[in-house]
Amino acid sequence: MKLTKRWLVLLLSLVLVGAACGDDDDDDAGGGSGTLEEVRDRGTLRCGVNSVLPGFGLVDEAGNYTGFDVDFCKVVAAGVLGDAGAVEYVPLGVEDRFTALQSGEVDVLLRNSTWTATRDGQEGLTFVFTTFYDGQGVMVPADSGFTTLEDLADANVCTLTGTTTELNLTSVFNARGIPFNPVTFTDSAELRPAYEAGQCEVWTSDRSQLAAFKLAIESEGGAEQHIMDETISKEPLGPAVRDGDSAWAQAVQWSVMATVIAWELGIDSSNVGSFTADDANPAIARFVGGAAPGLGLDADFAVQIISQVGNYEEIYTEHIAPLGLPLEGSTNDLWTNGNGGVMYVPPYS
Amino acid sequence: MGGRHFAGRPSSVATAGKLVSSPTVDPTAQRHPTAVWYRNVRVLRFVGQGVAVVAVVGLLAWLFNNLVNSLDRLNIGTDFGFLDRPTDFQIPFDEGFDPRSSVRSMVLVGVKNTLVAGAFGIALASILGVLIGIARLSSNWLVARLATVYVETLRNIPPLVVIIFFGFAVFTFGPFPILRDAEGLSLFGNTALILSNTVWGVPSLVAGDGTGMFWIFVLAGVVLAAGVARWRTAVGERTGRPHHRVAYAFGTLVAVAVAGAFVAGDVYSVSWPAISENGRRILGGFQLNFGFISVAVALGLYTASHIAEIVRGSILAVPMGQSEAANSVALTSFQRYRHVVLPQALRIAVPPIISQYLNLVKNTSLGVAVSYAEITFLTQSSIGNGRPAPQSIAVLMGVYLVFSLTISFVLNLYNRRIQLVER
Amino acid sequence: MDPKRPIIEPALDEPLLVVDAPPVEKLPPRLWIRRRLFSNFYNSAITVVLLPLIAYLAYRGLLFLFVTARWSPVRENLTLFMVGRYPRAELWRIVAQLIIWSSALGLAWGAAVSGARFRAAQAGLPYREDPLLAKVRRYWALLSMLGLFLLMTQSYGPLLVTAAALAAGSLLKSLAARVPGRHNVLLWAGVGVLGVVGYQIVSGFHGNGWLWMGAPVALGVVSLLGRVEWPSQSRWRVVRLGAVVGVFAIAYAVYALVGTPGVGWDDWEGFHLNLITATVAIVLAFPLGLLLALARRSSLPALRVMSTAYIELIRGVPLITLLLMSQTFIGFFLDTDTPLSSLTRSIAAFTLFTAAYVAEIVRGGLQSVDRGQIEAGQSVGLSSFAVTRLIVLPLALRAVIPAMVGQFIALFKDTSLLSIVSVADLLFVRRVVHAQEAFRAFGIAETLVFVMLAFWAVSFTMSRESQRLERRLGIGER
Repeated sequence: MKLTKRWLVLLLSLVLVGAACGDDDDDDAGGGSGTLEEVRDRGTLRCGVNSVLPGFGLVDEAGNYTGFDVDFCKVVAAGVLGDAGAVEYVPLGVEDRFTALQSGEVDVLLRNSTWTATRDGQEGLTFVFTTFYDGQGVMVPADSGFTTLEDLADANVCTLTGTTTELNLTSVFNARGIPFNPVTFTDSAELRPAYEAGQCEVWTSDRSQLAAFKLAIESEGGAEQHIMDETISKEPLGPAVRDGDSAWAQAVQWSVMATVIAWELGIDSSNVGSFTADDANPAIARFVGGAAPGLGLDADFAVQIISQVGNYEEIYTEHIAPLGLPLEGSTNDLWTNGNGGVMYVPPYS
Repeated sequence: MGGRHFAGRPSSVATAGKLVSSPTVDPTAQRHPTAVWYRNVRVLRFVGQGVAVVAVVGLLAWLFNNLVNSLDRLNIGTDFGFLDRPTDFQIPFDEGFDPRSSVRSMVLVGVKNTLVAGAFGIALASILGVLIGIARLSSNWLVARLATVYVETLRNIPPLVVIIFFGFAVFTFGPFPILRDAEGLSLFGNTALILSNTVWGVPSLVAGDGTGMFWIFVLAGVVLAAGVARWRTAVGERTGRPHHRVAYAFGTLVAVAVAGAFVAGDVYSVSWPAISENGRRILGGFQLNFGFISVAVALGLYTASHIAEIVRGSILAVPMGQSEAANSVALTSFQRYRHVVLPQALRIAVPPIISQYLNLVKNTSLGVAVSYAEITFLTQSSIGNGRPAPQSIAVLMGVYLVFSLTISFVLNLYNRRIQLVER
Repeated sequence: MDPKRPIIEPALDEPLLVVDAPPVEKLPPRLWIRRRLFSNFYNSAITVVLLPLIAYLAYRGLLFLFVTARWSPVRENLTLFMVGRYPRAELWRIVAQLIIWSSALGLAWGAAVSGARFRAAQAGLPYREDPLLAKVRRYWALLSMLGLFLLMTQSYGPLLVTAAALAAGSLLKSLAARVPGRHNVLLWAGVGVLGVVGYQIVSGFHGNGWLWMGAPVALGVVSLLGRVEWPSQSRWRVVRLGAVVGVFAIAYAVYALVGTPGVGWDDWEGFHLNLITATVAIVLAFPLGLLLALARRSSLPALRVMSTAYIELIRGVPLITLLLMSQTFIGFFLDTDTPLSSLTRSIAAFTLFTAAYVAEIVRGGLQSVDRGQIEAGQSVGLSSFAVTRLIVLPLALRAVIPAMVGQFIALFKDTSLLSIVSVADLLFVRRVVHAQEAFRAFGIAETLVFVMLAFWAVSFTMSRESQRLERRLGIGER
């Protein structure tokens, strides 16, 4: 069969054209320093979130994102851009959550990621704050009578794949000499029926997740569940940004911490308007007046955050408390409340 | 297309710079015997190839360079040293695996699991596929329709959905109890089969002292059987009577094997499955986990629908005259299939069936949906746990390439052999 | 000559006339039961065993579907399943796309009918079209799926949209069927234009869309100009080149001036994503695959080796590994400032994968063209370019169409793998739905059945059409 160069050239150009025709809405985002300016130029914040995690990142029927981490995306947007609605949510899976941040596809990762040394070092991330002190827990049916981890020898343990859950499970159980058999799934929609059918006797995940599903199972008339007191590992969850951009890291950090500072000071979205820069309490005056130059944030960033989104307590109460985890007395309670909580922020001065 | 009329001549055949030669005599060479170098086809072909190779190699080098730079920038290693580091996670349903063993051994476990699931799936798909393919042509309307429904349903659902659905239907929402409550089916006073919704226990054979000697006997028996088959074939050709060479050869093999079993002594003992004390494990026997069964059986069912279509098409491709001739010498329908139709049909069917086998092995990569520890699942887990992605995926692709190139090679051998036989 | 095959057969529609076909035996019910179900002992035994089994299974199935199943997760999240998180304010784009593409399908159908009628007239044979009822029976799977879907909706919107789409398609089909066959090329160019418009009404009229728009318009214009008699061949060549360049220039100018924004790829999710991914991947993979097939058959060893290496490499690995590769590090290969979006990466993986399979299919088609055809073309003085265009490609592509449809079906089914790499296709949306508070603990089986039915309906319809096409084209028989 004969073919002339013209055909070849024509087809080659078609291929190149086809390759070039693609994502027409390319935004200008890059890695490294200058993320703050880039976000301000672009006018929107690109936030990497979860779309399938109860309480933290969910999508409702109308296609809107809701959740604890989602609200913190809004907090950062309100702090940096002054508009909590200027957020572009990018749903990320387990494989690509870190590469998305590294490559510049997202500016900040708020996808219930655990702060570990490996991630700080090897994955090129910088964790800025812990918004949620979680731990890895173990859930068993209440009528099984298991109370300690040693009772679980040889048991089938359901877990999600590709998370720190798997690693922690292995290291803790091996250290204590408990043999076990992991049964891993890619998502909770397959894990839950397996657990309820008895294919595994144990479900291990972050305690917040276990609480959510315990509530769901029991409210649907399923068997009663029991989350063991033993915590397998610490899981401090918080926002992460790229290495090498300290200005951006600080901006994100103080935006997020502003919610806790406001809680400490008793400011919430309903009364934030009543405080001014001349307040009798100097801490409140500084906070509302916003005299902290060099952070790269506007003077009224705290007011924007609290009025548009809310303080930490409001965010927590809206998203996490319905999972059956009350704020008062939990690890996430304010240190100053003296209830055993560890939420402690530096003063805004 | 509507008429397009030219007042001038039609275009000439010769054009300079053709990169693909015509099947007939190249008029260019004759018309321009002393072409200038830039019109000399040979020169142009050489230069063209050189340019193409340079372009492609350059492109690949540029891409690879980018990759290495990006990895260096992010402090991810670019070597394969991660293979020696410990795995750090436990493999589902594999008690013998130590999480401290290296990633290399994890890869081997994954390869083994993939091959085992593939083998079972292929066996199931072949048998079921041929049966259903024949059933589609049955004279019984109900059987034919049922087979059609089976094929048309399974062929049009993605294999991932089939696997998930099968896992749900048989295990999660299925009739089997949890292991603690499972009752075994007994045979000869021993528990022969334990069915639960996580694992199934079947008896296994455990090698004894005499196993090695037994297999030497079997090997000798195979050689002897081959010789017997050849002898019987020669006898058959000489006398013209049926040679029954398969029966003779098989009989020889069995005789030698039995003799070997007697001589060797303790050859194999049966290990019966039993539920452990705490009701969580099966001790003894062979343990099939629900991931394996889901993947192997679901993929077997799925691929059987494709194989059924191939078999049906190949049976229909056998000329009608063959069946009519078979009927005219009063062969029963079974004999017709066995001696006339199927041998011809299967010859046509073998290449596409072998490519379906390859598809099945590649589809075992969907085992991640039902927690089956095959190589793709293990690679994904290890990437999620911090192992470098490019190298892990390169290893993964290499594994599958080995499978597919082996199967293609077998296919090519088969094709060549068939062609020789025909000519 | 086979009495069942008429003299001239249209490529895409019904046969013209069945000449002297033997009458089909229609048995009365009792004889039929006797002959087909109880013809001998074995058959009778099988029937007796199977009938109650089938009845029981059918009963349980229907009971589940219509009585015991709780369809609320599907019912309330139907939009989510279909289009994911697409901005609800821009849903009119999807509606417009549906109607425009339905019109394009109707136009294509009409063009096929018109072409068939033209060829029948040329051969002097009467032309008769299938009645509407037969067409409805043909598409029963898709129509019943559509019916089930409409039953689940909670408002009248989808019903109106479906009705509008069907009406637009039928109107264009009947209009196009009346157009004389000489203008067939124009109709197909119109299909191309509608296809591009339908795509870009969602993605926006900007970027490189002018190329895709210019191509079918240029085809139509060139075909119109070709009907005129030109004084010389060189003049015709100049005019043709000028027309093509002019059309593309105008398209570019229009796009540069108008440039309306659309909704980017990142927001395309749900079932819509499965369909679009399959379509875009095969459209992009086709030129690449054609190139690879030609290179593989080339006499230049360098091209042959490189293309064979690529094809064997890609065909040897499962798609999921390519998807994993695309999700984790394909961005590292390109030194772009703009990181590629998740969907772009996935479509790149699908395109690379499909191109290898398309290359094999096209290679088979090219091989199937008889050498004698090429030699015949050369013997009447056609240039190699003309031989390729007028003889080889039509024959090869005709042989290749059923296999390409089969590849498209396989690709469509493979788009379900996007759920494994966390891209929000139909199967992944199922996960999203079950993370919602209301459906965290029930409806798991029902959503899976819904997803299965959605995939099955589309694949089954396409595979049936491909089988009909193969029968009509007589592949392997002539």
